[in-house]
Amino acid sequence: MVATSPITTQTDNPLQDGRKRAMLLAALYIAQEQFGWLSEEAIQRVAERLNLTVGQVKSTASFYTMFKLQPQGKYRIQVCEGLSCYLVGGAEPIINYIAEKLGIQPGETTPDGKFTLEVVQCLAACGTAPAVKVNDELYENMTFSAIDQLLERLQQEN
Amino acid sequence: MIDKATITIDGQKIQARYGQTILQAAREHGIHIPVLCDHPALPPEGACRICLVEIERQRTLQPACTFPVSEGLVIHTHSPKVIEARKFSLELLISDHPLDCMTCEATGNCLLQDLAYEYGVTGDRYQGEKHHYPIDTSNPFIVVDRNKCILCRRCVRACAYINGVEAISVFYRGFNAYIGFGADSTMQDSPCEFCGSCVEVCPTGALWPKMAIGKGRPYQLKSVQTVCTYCGVGCQIELQVRNNRIVNVTGVENAPVNQGFTCVKGRFGNDFVHHEDRLLKPRLRKYLLEGGKREGKGRGEWVEVDWDTALDIVARKLLETRDKFGSDSVGLLTSAKCTNEENYLMNKLARQIIGTNNIDHCARLCHSSTVAGLAISFGSGAMSNSIEDVTQQAKAFFVIGSNTTEQHPVIGMKIRQAVKQRDAILIVADPRQIPLVDFATLHLQHKPGTDIALLNGLMHIILKNGWEDKAFIEERTEGFEEFKAVVEQYPPERVSEITGVPQELLLEAAQLMGQNKPMAVIWAMGITQHTTGVYNVFSLANLQMLLGNMGIPGGGVNPLRGQNNVQGACDMGGLPNVYPAYQPVTSEEAAHKFAQAWGAPMSTKIGMTVTEMIPAAKEGKIKALYIMAEDPMMSDPDTNHVRECLEACEFVVLQDIFYTETAPYADVLLPGVSFAEKTGTFTNTERRIQLVRQALQPLGEAQPDWQILCEVANRLLATSSSTSGRTIDLQAPYARWDYRHPKDIMDEINALAPSYAGVRYERLERGETFQWPVKDEHHPGTPILHVGKFARGLGKFAAVDHIPPAELPDTEYPMVLSTGRVLYHWHGGELSRRAQGLLEIYPKPLVEINPEDAQRLGLNGHRRVRVTSRRGSIEAEAWITDRVLPGMVYANFHFPEASANVLTHAALDPIAKIPEYKVCAVKVEAVE
Ligand code: SF4
Ligand code: SF4
Ligand code: SF4
Ligand code: FES
Ligand code: FES
Repeated sequence: MVATSPITTQTDNPLQDGRKRAMLLAALYIAQEQFGWLSEEAIQRVAERLNLTVGQVKSTASFYTMFKLQPQGKYRIQVCEGLSCYLVGGAEPIINYIAEKLGIQPGETTPDGKFTLEVVQCLAACGTAPAVKVNDELYENMTFSAIDQLLERLQQEN
Repeated sequence: MIDKATITIDGQKIQARYGQTILQAAREHGIHIPVLCDHPALPPEGACRICLVEIERQRTLQPACTFPVSEGLVIHTHSPKVIEARKFSLELLISDHPLDCMTCEATGNCLLQDLAYEYGVTGDRYQGEKHHYPIDTSNPFIVVDRNKCILCRRCVRACAYINGVEAISVFYRGFNAYIGFGADSTMQDSPCEFCGSCVEVCPTGALWPKMAIGKGRPYQLKSVQTVCTYCGVGCQIELQVRNNRIVNVTGVENAPVNQGFTCVKGRFGNDFVHHEDRLLKPRLRKYLLEGGKREGKGRGEWVEVDWDTALDIVARKLLETRDKFGSDSVGLLTSAKCTNEENYLMNKLARQIIGTNNIDHCARLCHSSTVAGLAISFGSGAMSNSIEDVTQQAKAFFVIGSNTTEQHPVIGMKIRQAVKQRDAILIVADPRQIPLVDFATLHLQHKPGTDIALLNGLMHIILKNGWEDKAFIEERTEGFEEFKAVVEQYPPERVSEITGVPQELLLEAAQLMGQNKPMAVIWAMGITQHTTGVYNVFSLANLQMLLGNMGIPGGGVNPLRGQNNVQGACDMGGLPNVYPAYQPVTSEEAAHKFAQAWGAPMSTKIGMTVTEMIPAAKEGKIKALYIMAEDPMMSDPDTNHVRECLEACEFVVLQDIFYTETAPYADVLLPGVSFAEKTGTFTNTERRIQLVRQALQPLGEAQPDWQILCEVANRLLATSSSTSGRTIDLQAPYARWDYRHPKDIMDEINALAPSYAGVRYERLERGETFQWPVKDEHHPGTPILHVGKFARGLGKFAAVDHIPPAELPDTEYPMVLSTGRVLYHWHGGELSRRAQGLLEIYPKPLVEINPEDAQRLGLNGHRRVRVTSRRGSIEAEAWITDRVLPGMVYANFHFPEASANVLTHAALDPIAKIPEYKVCAVKVEAVE
């Protein structure tokens, strides 16, 4: 009898394996895509899958602004306050306009769970500034009336 | 030389080593560069920018704590640019700091405060928004005030790189960032083990020991360096004392064992010293004062008396007993809690004055099988290697029957680090899912009492595959062929059946062992506390010889000794068969040597063990017991039987610091003192002798145990010479008991115990510590035993077969009980139950039981259970957990109201006379 069986039960260890840490960001993206935001449960699951502590996962998730630790609205409205948008008079007026219309501050979600307002850096649409993004859709050359139309349309959709 | 780089710091040329940072090189040469986030015990972080230095030909200032040295660097540590940058960083740091230094606990002990002072930063420049975090006081040990946190992450790194539990992280970023525990809960609800390493390194008042709050400023405290009194790891600690009270405990940075860190008991468990249960005056039973006799089982009322009265009666009764019933009618229990000097005196009292070898202590109950087994296999019964070489150089660890992270926590931490930081292989063999299993490469969950079968099975596979070290076996051992013949009968199929470990796991484990050298074997009570204890130890010795792991760094046989000074108590002759330094009492030569030294005839008859003395008291063979700081009612098996025996004993002297569970059975109570109130030495598990320094004046009228022993001995000597009893020649070189200081006792030990010959107080006081044998006053000590040659010459393979435990489950008692301890308590709980924080966090006994059994027994959630064996019954709360296998329960012996030792039985190993605490048959019922 010869011991030929491969060593398979070796426990994966968090710090031992740098790759786990490297995979964390990707895993968090995927989890956020699936759940809409990173709930305690989502964080727990990522930690289990990567064999990291919940603390490590939450620490990373809370460091990056792109990860959401609060429930998000159905429509994430991201208003650019990058330099180009700022210079053409976008940014502030547009943010304030939307904030007033929806009755929420940047970072907040409407009580019906429909809209979340966010302020972001350059959306890579400087040529057609000011720019606004709703979920994955980009809207360029924004004006107040374009915003009215957009919000109206989204209100009606389900 | 290629590995050296010449650098210039502030005009001084120094030789740095490649791989060092500028900061490390500067530190080594005594050049001061201020830091905040850097800590010598932790990997650098480069977070705070306080250590910025100016390097010529570098565009920007660079952090000294992360910048590597290279040839020709010219560095300025205090140029105007540097100072301005440091000021700026400090201004920012304190812009959101509470600045309530007047009432802050950390005042005088705060790096931030020191730096603000050094750089004249007041906090006026930027007036930032401030945080108002609630203060976390959820746990009994550590107060967390995030308002004072400067996010240096020292604590985060300490928890990851010192302890290994990773309970702390930083959440969020920028101004909103804060340190949090676990999944951002309170510290209490996180995986924190309260080792306090984070408190040790925190540079500000953000993490602070609860017990120290309001107890005094650093400059009001006296700080005394000593050794922890809990376990055999032997961590050095510093007691901070004010008005004769311990108000705080810190680690000792350059301590060889613990480098500044401790476990929860060592740091937060020392308030027992001031507990109201302390005995502060001697006590006697009234009948003794009246010259009367004891009637029946009871011993009557206690009366407090002065020392002379108590000591006179003790001396008179001991003498009477000796002269009437013979020397062997007296038994002495010495103490693994007391110093080497005190144990030596107890051994001298027994052998010189009483004339008996009836001396033993609780080592009988923990590692007597190790001492006996290793002495036979190798010629020395102690841990062969050092904590340092084992934890730093072992490629693999085989931990069997040791719950290391709970019982020897600081060694446990180091094993976790070996696994995490250098990929060491860890094989754990334990019937329970102990915490260390989370870090293990493999867990062999064998049934209790099947260790020999398991080990024979592993060695069988090793031999079949030719993984043994043939040269080592050939050159350094004997008995291999007989051993091999036995091991051949343990093929994986059979072993798997006996042990319950799947064959594949056996194969993997054997392969890992065979292919990763050096491997260190580590064990504790799971191996020793069996009727086959000595044979279990033989098997481990066999394994290490087979693999050629003896006498090399990172290998060896490493029994982890329990009590703080159990190694020393054995070394000092606190055993019935040996004088100090293991000179056998049966040897004519040794008897002659001690008869000459002490001026009295020596008995060559091996004395009784504690497990024999106590029953002998009931049989009337032992008439008087002198017990120093031992608690047989908690620590010995079959409590009900122990009680009957003690009740029957005619005269019992108990010398202890508390009114323990054994005290009701004593006739005289002599108040001894804690480790904090005396001077002496302890010897830790790796044979390291360290100095215990007195920090407090003895409380009340209590006296150091060595002084009490001298008082008793001198009274005995004075009366002795006038009666017909033994004659002692006081002119003999070491006959007298006129020690003025423990140092004088050590002088005598130097002369009579060869392995302690060079253990001089002058050396210890200089900060030297060494591992025995220390052959003379220049010898540096012996970190590794058996290098090149075993103490007995050739290592002896022993052919041993599996023998089932003495009491197996049957239909009436269908489950197996195993016993042990938990992280937050210690031994019979005498100390830890009297430490407020430890009691708060683990306040009551719990019986561990598998979910399957719990379901069968109808235990939903946490319910009370009754556990019954043939000897007794206890009731306690059940902890339903898969730490134990189905069919098994686990209980501890820390709490008198439900001590596992009511259930255990005194089936003894035939050689070591150690009881089988780890297996007995019980039944479990739900309590309605
Ligand atoms: S006390 Fe120890 S285990 Fe707890 S957080 Fe601090 S370092 Fe980690
Ligand atoms: S709690 Fe202390 S050690 Fe931890 S990050 Fe804050 S200041 Fe540093
Ligand atoms: S590991 Fe042992 S010696 Fe060290 S602090 Fe803890 S109890 Fe004390
Ligand atoms: S700055 Fe707004 S899109 Fe680039
Ligand atoms: S000590 Fe170097 S950056 Fe903090």
